[in-house]
Amino acid sequence: MRCCSPDTLKRMYFILAVMLFGIVLFAVIPAFAQDVTDEEYRPFPMIGSRNAAWIAAQLHLLFGSFILGVPMFAVIIEFIGWKTKDERYDRMAHEFIKLCMGAFSTTALLGGVLVFILVWCYPKVMNKLSGIFGPTMIFYVVLFFGETFTLYIYYYGWDKMQGRFKWIHLVLGVMLNLWGTAIMFVSNTWLTYQTSPATQFKKLSDETKEAWIESVLTQNPEMTRAEVLEDITANSVIPLHNEAGDFLANVWEAVNNFTWMPVNIHRLIGNIAFGGSIVAAYAAFRFLVAKTEEDKSHYDWMGYNGNFIALCGLIPLPFAGYWLGREIYMFNNTMGINMMGNLFSWLFIIQAVMIGVLFIGANYYLWSGMGRIEGAEIYARYRPYMIATIVICVAIWMTPRTLSTISTASELSAMGGSNHPHLGFFGLMSAKNTVVNIVILTTFLSFLFYRRSGKTPTVGWKKIGNIIISIIFFFGVVTIVVIGIVGFSKTLPDGYRVNILTPWQVMVALAVMVFVTIIDIFMYRKSTMAGTIKWGEMTERSQYVLILLAITFTSLMGLMGYARSGLREGWHIFGVQRDSSVDAFTPSLSSAVNMVAIIMVIFFALVGFIFWLGLWGEKKKQQVVPIEATADSDD
Amino acid sequence: MKNILIRIACLIVMIVSFIAFLAKTPAFPIASENLLPWSVWFTISVIVNMVLWYPVMKLVTFSLGVIWFYAFIAALVPDTSTATGPVTELDWSDPDAVVEIGASIFKTKGQCAACHTLDTSAPKGRCPDLTDIGVISDNRVAGLDAKAYLIESLYDPGKFLVPGYGKIMPEVWKKPIELTKLEIAAVIAFLQSQGGEIDPEPFDEPIDRANIETTAAALPPLLTGNPDAGRKVFIDEACISCHVVKGVENPKAGEANEDFEVVTAPELTEIAAFNEVRYLEESILKPHEQIVSGYGTAKIKANGITYEGTIVSQDEEKVVIKTKAADGTETEHTILFSDFDEEPVDEEDIVNLQENGFFTLTITPIDSDTPISGEIVEETTDTVTLKVGDETKSFSKTDLKMMMTLTIFDVGETIGEYVSGTMDDNEIVLMVDGSEEVFDTFDVEDAVKAVGSGKRLFVRSPMPDNFQDTLTVKKMADLIAFLSTLTGTTEEESTEDTDQSDSSDPSEQPTE
Repeated sequence: MRCCSPDTLKRMYFILAVMLFGIVLFAVIPAFAQDVTDEEYRPFPMIGSRNAAWIAAQLHLLFGSFILGVPMFAVIIEFIGWKTKDERYDRMAHEFIKLCMGAFSTTALLGGVLVFILVWCYPKVMNKLSGIFGPTMIFYVVLFFGETFTLYIYYYGWDKMQGRFKWIHLVLGVMLNLWGTAIMFVSNTWLTYQTSPATQFKKLSDETKEAWIESVLTQNPEMTRAEVLEDITANSVIPLHNEAGDFLANVWEAVNNFTWMPVNIHRLIGNIAFGGSIVAAYAAFRFLVAKTEEDKSHYDWMGYNGNFIALCGLIPLPFAGYWLGREIYMFNNTMGINMMGNLFSWLFIIQAVMIGVLFIGANYYLWSGMGRIEGAEIYARYRPYMIATIVICVAIWMTPRTLSTISTASELSAMGGSNHPHLGFFGLMSAKNTVVNIVILTTFLSFLFYRRSGKTPTVGWKKIGNIIISIIFFFGVVTIVVIGIVGFSKTLPDGYRVNILTPWQVMVALAVMVFVTIIDIFMYRKSTMAGTIKWGEMTERSQYVLILLAITFTSLMGLMGYARSGLREGWHIFGVQRDSSVDAFTPSLSSAVNMVAIIMVIFFALVGFIFWLGLWGEKKKQQVVPIEATADSDD
Repeated sequence: MKNILIRIACLIVMIVSFIAFLAKTPAFPIASENLLPWSVWFTISVIVNMVLWYPVMKLVTFSLGVIWFYAFIAALVPDTSTATGPVTELDWSDPDAVVEIGASIFKTKGQCAACHTLDTSAPKGRCPDLTDIGVISDNRVAGLDAKAYLIESLYDPGKFLVPGYGKIMPEVWKKPIELTKLEIAAVIAFLQSQGGEIDPEPFDEPIDRANIETTAAALPPLLTGNPDAGRKVFIDEACISCHVVKGVENPKAGEANEDFEVVTAPELTEIAAFNEVRYLEESILKPHEQIVSGYGTAKIKANGITYEGTIVSQDEEKVVIKTKAADGTETEHTILFSDFDEEPVDEEDIVNLQENGFFTLTITPIDSDTPISGEIVEETTDTVTLKVGDETKSFSKTDLKMMMTLTIFDVGETIGEYVSGTMDDNEIVLMVDGSEEVFDTFDVEDAVKAVGSGKRLFVRSPMPDNFQDTLTVKKMADLIAFLSTLTGTTEEESTEDTDQSDSSDPSEQPTE
């Protein structure tokens, strides 16, 4: 029996996606039969509106992150391949984009499902959002078309644009990223506005004047228009919302809200980390099922690169998250307190567990990787100390601030309060910020050892260089610890810890990494290799670690998505439009993580399907080619 | 064949136990609310699957195991749901149920637990600890019982501030918290249950919810001032001498100021991010009304010494004041309230004793010869109630003997009931110990007429309180318009706006 070609498979996948869309439509047909006039909500059958929107939104976001993150490093890898003339890089970049193609259709499909659910289940919310953000939605559609066509040309033109047209192909890759980033920035405006709608005051412009007059007249029917106008001068300043929740300014004021740019940056970096981890997981999967040494070697190398990219994204991610957290405090102090000290405080303990797993896993993978490099054994003696450092730091990071909600009265009495008498201070932010920076530096050290493995520097100042690097590390860590200890002082002025000490810790950690990298690059510029890197000689355990990292990244995204949305509590748009549906509450952490778990299963099932589709297509292609070749030779 | 059956069985057990765990279904085979039963099934099946299956199934098993692990960890932490459900009625026949609802709202929708603690050993929070608030609230404000005090505190949280805490609590009946009357009643019951007794009596809300959306007062103010001109007022009127606003430079920085004392005042860079415009207006016109913690000044007389400086902190027993010597040296003094010296209470002070900082009072009723001293527990316009020993006694403010304190050269102070004479006359007559005594004004250094004496802590803002007179309406409007733009995130934008144009709409100039 002659089997279908890869192109046919892709078509089949498209048909399957459309069928899936049809099933969703079919499932909600009973809802269509309801009276739609003036309804605030329409229930989604069986699982409820919130769960339906949650699943669709999270899946759309996960696939979206993947297709936005992967092209970023794919184009860089392609550029490296072009400049170094190493075809392996070109092949790997091509393979990355191939993964994107399958995910791209799924993202679009899930986006459609999400919009459908939102419009159907939350008509008033969508009516309000589209009323404010209408122009951005049109812009979004234009960007989407731009991205789609650029991606098609970029992918299908890969082979055609080799050689002297490569630079055009790279420009297309850059454009693809620009479209993608712009799409993300635009869609971020809607959700960040829901969390932190603009509340600042602005001058009353001509276009907002009428809205303001209408608003005053509606709320003060006894007033005349002339009386309202009397109060307005050329320099009048108004709040952006009146108490009825009407938005009175232009769209830019809604776009440029408190959390928009921090979320943009956080997601931009997060997409790189997430994309890298999924690519690494794909490589791990291919490594584990590989039949030939060549395949093992290639996917080992690909997994290493994917993990490296994920690490590059992971290291600055806490800093971007810190900025986002600060902006949430700036927008609404109570919301910030709820996030870090009240409702969501335990969520950050789970987050610490996950980030701990990420760092431990990433380090373990690097150490495993050193096993395939000849001459890397000399660094093995440092591993126990590094493991101990990371484990201790992660344990401190996971220390809860207060134990009042999980302790019995007798335990509280024995502790003399809700804080542990000896370990309680580890729950404070000063301790947590300190250990985060130390974990980051330890991971950086692991990477440094990996980079140096098997190499011998030839420069005459290598001893001095190593001493300088050791001193930089030593003083960096000491400074971070000292700043952390200063942070415990109760006499510090308000805001000093947040605005001065923490940024300084971050600056010290970044400075250590920058200076050490510069010295190390110069030191190992003309180094000699003791042996070769035996790509493919990795343990199976290390590949499972790559899968673990991808699942953890995905869980983390789901968890933080719950935090960001949950912070609104009983509001669709915080302080502006109340949620009066049956779901007008923030679910418990456990329920949320269970929902994230369900989404994860669906996501990885879909990802697995896309990977399998690619694998199946490849097999068929390999089978078809020899048959055709045989036929040709027969002729 | 046997092997395949074991594999398939383990796969089914793994999937079933995974779903059962997430769905929180009753445990099998022994009914239990514990997390362990399904977890044990799942863990065993994962281990077996990892040993027996092929690579792809191993990967699936491993992935499911990791996903389950995070769900397991999350199931171990405290429940944080805000799902209180709509409160449609309170069954006061079951006070414990009402308290439970109140506790739930306290922790969740009401967001009270974000700032208030219920644990005296916890570090000082943003708002007062509420341990035993059911008892404390009964005595906190004279004339208000526990329930009345709690109602006032929830509907108008700025009215009775606990010393040492700022005006940061939101009005919980307003957006975004928006508690209903029943929800507030449940919270009050919960608070009363903290050491006190629950009062199930219904109460009238001191607000009109029906009209709140349509009253002019509910509308955010339309600010008619010019923020750019307000910025100039901020500099010209020397607000900038004491208050820092990032992005606004003080042109006289470093210069000696002979007009007034430059003090450290709160930074205003983000003042509009956390405060309403009405608060900004009140802070300018009535600076003593609400003083930011750590910035109030006071003059305290204790053990014969006068301390003048900034109040650093205070609690129910003591106050910490920071004084500054002529050479600039700063010293902190901790003074017990019991060590405070009594000061004269004049005819103006007696009208509103507590507002003028008095917390004890010594008076002589008109029908008595014996002075009475006690702690002020309650006060109205006409009466004052003192706690004398274990008793409380009320006195009319108008039926008090007028007292006079004479400071006599080389002798010291003498206090007596005033009979006649002033410093302008030759003699002053006082009734001391039941007999009239005549004092030659030539020997008297000072004479202070008062209706009594008392200990006082009168905290004031160092900010001038005459802006109502010195600022024109236009300047005032401009200044408030400027302050209302200080949200802390747009300083670059506002700097750009000022540099580029005075009248253009800043919204048309994107920051990026």
